[in-house]
Amino acid sequence: MVLLSKIKLNSDIPWVEKHRPKSIKEMAIPNAKVKGQKIILDEELRDFIKNFFSEMRLINEENKKINIFNRTHGEKERKEEKQISPEKAAILLEGPPGIGKTSIVYALANDLNMEVVETNASDTRTKAKLEAKLKETVKSRGIMDYIVKSKEKIILIDEIDGIYGVSDRGAVPTILTIIQSTQFPIILCSNEYKQSLQPLYNKIKKYELSSLSNEAILGVVKKVLKKENITTLKASDLELIIEKNNGDLRGVINDLQGIGQGILDENTKELIFKLKRDSTEEIFSLIRDLFQKVTSLRDARDLTNKSDVDYNFLYKWVNENLPTFIRLNKELAKAYDNLSIADEIFGRIRKNQYWSLLPYFYDLFAGGVPLSRKQRFANEGFLRVAFPRYITSGLLSLSANERSLVSKIKGKYEISDIEAMQDFIPFIRILCESSRKDFKNVSDWLELDANEKKILK
Amino acid sequence: MVKDIPIWRVKYLPKKLGQINGREKIKERLKFIIEQRNFPHLLFVGPEAIGKTLIAQLFSKEFLRVHFEPNFKLVYANVPLSNEERAEARSDAYVSTSRIGSLAGRTITTPAFIQVKVKPFVQLKALGNVPYKILVVKNFEALGSNQQGFRRLMEIYGSNCRMILITTKISNIIDPIISRCQIFLIPPIEYDSFRDLIIHITKSENLEIEESIIEILYRITEGRIAQAIDLIQLCSITNKEIDINAIYQGFSKSKNDLVRSLLLMCLKGDFPKARELARKIQSNFKYNSQDFFVLLSKELLKLPLSNFTRTKLMNLIAEADFRAVDGQDTDIQVSTLLSKICYFSEFL
Repeated sequence: MVLLSKIKLNSDIPWVEKHRPKSIKEMAIPNAKVKGQKIILDEELRDFIKNFFSEMRLINEENKKINIFNRTHGEKERKEEKQISPEKAAILLEGPPGIGKTSIVYALANDLNMEVVETNASDTRTKAKLEAKLKETVKSRGIMDYIVKSKEKIILIDEIDGIYGVSDRGAVPTILTIIQSTQFPIILCSNEYKQSLQPLYNKIKKYELSSLSNEAILGVVKKVLKKENITTLKASDLELIIEKNNGDLRGVINDLQGIGQGILDENTKELIFKLKRDSTEEIFSLIRDLFQKVTSLRDARDLTNKSDVDYNFLYKWVNENLPTFIRLNKELAKAYDNLSIADEIFGRIRKNQYWSLLPYFYDLFAGGVPLSRKQRFANEGFLRVAFPRYITSGLLSLSANERSLVSKIKGKYEISDIEAMQDFIPFIRILCESSRKDFKNVSDWLELDANEKKILK
Repeated sequence: MVKDIPIWRVKYLPKKLGQINGREKIKERLKFIIEQRNFPHLLFVGPEAIGKTLIAQLFSKEFLRVHFEPNFKLVYANVPLSNEERAEARSDAYVSTSRIGSLAGRTITTPAFIQVKVKPFVQLKALGNVPYKILVVKNFEALGSNQQGFRRLMEIYGSNCRMILITTKISNIIDPIISRCQIFLIPPIEYDSFRDLIIHITKSENLEIEESIIEILYRITEGRIAQAIDLIQLCSITNKEIDINAIYQGFSKSKNDLVRSLLLMCLKGDFPKARELARKIQSNFKYNSQDFFVLLSKELLKLPLSNFTRTKLMNLIAEADFRAVDGQDTDIQVSTLLSKICYFSEFL
């Protein structure tokens, strides 16, 4: 009976948890950088924890003395207790999902015989909740800790970019105070830069982690396959899965479980391969289907629902390729009217979080645009789909050469970057095109190098 | 021997307030201020490219004299901040310490522009024997709602730093700012001074020009001296005598003409080419969509069209500009405008 339940349990655990590395040695360590400098992550983490405890010991001893001093002296003479500097108390690991940020912390704790206290995005992290969960752990060691020499702890605050909105209000300052009064090293994990976390970034060291290489993933995956006794998977399929997941080891293992447990059902396999995210071929065919096959709003919805392409990009593709598929001015104007309203709606959604407007956005750009076309060309044939060419706006984007040219002009003539680009440089260009002598004079005057001269020619 | 500056508009740039062409009344008022050694915050209002900034600069130079360098700063409100500057402003953000109320736990940031470009300058004391520093903010209206940030700045640091705000659109300046400034309406150069200047330049460059051509030049450049000088320099390459054809030829190479041909292309109904050209204009001249719409509407007024057509086109431009305010992708709004004009052209 016991045996049976154990077996059942085993197959229920996601492979990702089942094969979570027990030790650093089993891991594919992600590449990491600090302020652009490459470092070896596991050594760096080990040092961090070691330094933390030695620093903490010193501070605790001093605090003991201060405590005794305070007890024997009057209110006015009391000294403040020392605190560890945030830089030494906590670090931040930042990187894409599935590369092993959480795993490396657990593996390291295992290697060093420590315990991990974790909080992640599934917990609501208001000030009160965070304090309840962490502050007591952080501040003191229980009585039991002195009697039985218990394990040291690492505090892992995972998914801090998930701290969001009203429900987690006050979390960031609380984390800051926790960092200042901690007795244990703290590791924070995050996927991306978030402005609301800026106060944290200012205080602690940030490690930027990058995706795993395909070879590293292959190494780990082979071990997993061996343990699970899967031998039927073709090497080429494995490569495809790894390729598709783009450096996300967790994604690879999840996919393998999907295939492995279904004993390689052809359909599931196909499904997984189909999910190859945002591949350009998929967008190409999607755009073609949108314009050439859609006959009703329902069709358009089905098509966008099925596809996995980010709508953020998709509607830009629609914009770029619209004139290829719709050529009558009447239909073009109607199609563009729909697209421009979709764009306006999207902007409002992003600005004000009016997500209830999203269905209109979909219907207008995916349905409204192709359905503006009544006539089809008799023999349309194969139409070429083009990449969107973005025009950056808002930000002034200058190439390096343009930038240096502008700064040289500004040295001689008081003018703003924008005026220089819109007014002054076009004039110099015309002047230089019309006369060789002037070109030489101008480049002598501004002391231009070869690259900058190219802009003027 | 110092070599001549090859660009005439730089070569003939006035070096003193007295050398500014025309506009005697403004010059008198400013000279009076310099003698008084005291002035309130100033607001310079006037059309584009007629020399407001130059006047502000030369005025500051004569006011601050030898202490000009450390006590003067010119900032452009419409130039976007670079990424480094943005990061700098972000790192100055701090978390509110209040425990109750709407600010609890909020990150407080001051507008990045003020944080990076203005505050460091106005906070430092004036150096040398001058009553205060001078900060010139160009295109002040581009600050939009960030103008609010200036209200307190002008009061708190007013005794240390006087500001000269420069704008083309006084209607976009918020009232509290206007009430804190003395307003200077700066007119375009008068025709007589314009003529004198052009004659001075042509004489020193050994060129010949007729009075009637100067008049035409004044009309097509709308009194913008820099543009007029540019045109003359272009003409001088081929001919010692500036004639009307050369002027128009030079003018046709300017960006205004590109925009004009874009409008005409739309009115012929050629959408793909029009979009191509619109993108080229935007990327070559680094226009953002808003500038681009303004440019279009200006050129539209110059085209020989019926009132009905003109109004309809203006309506379309306005709608596109309006949608672009909220939209995410301005290229879509520009394309929409072009396609609508193309469609409209079929009814003409």
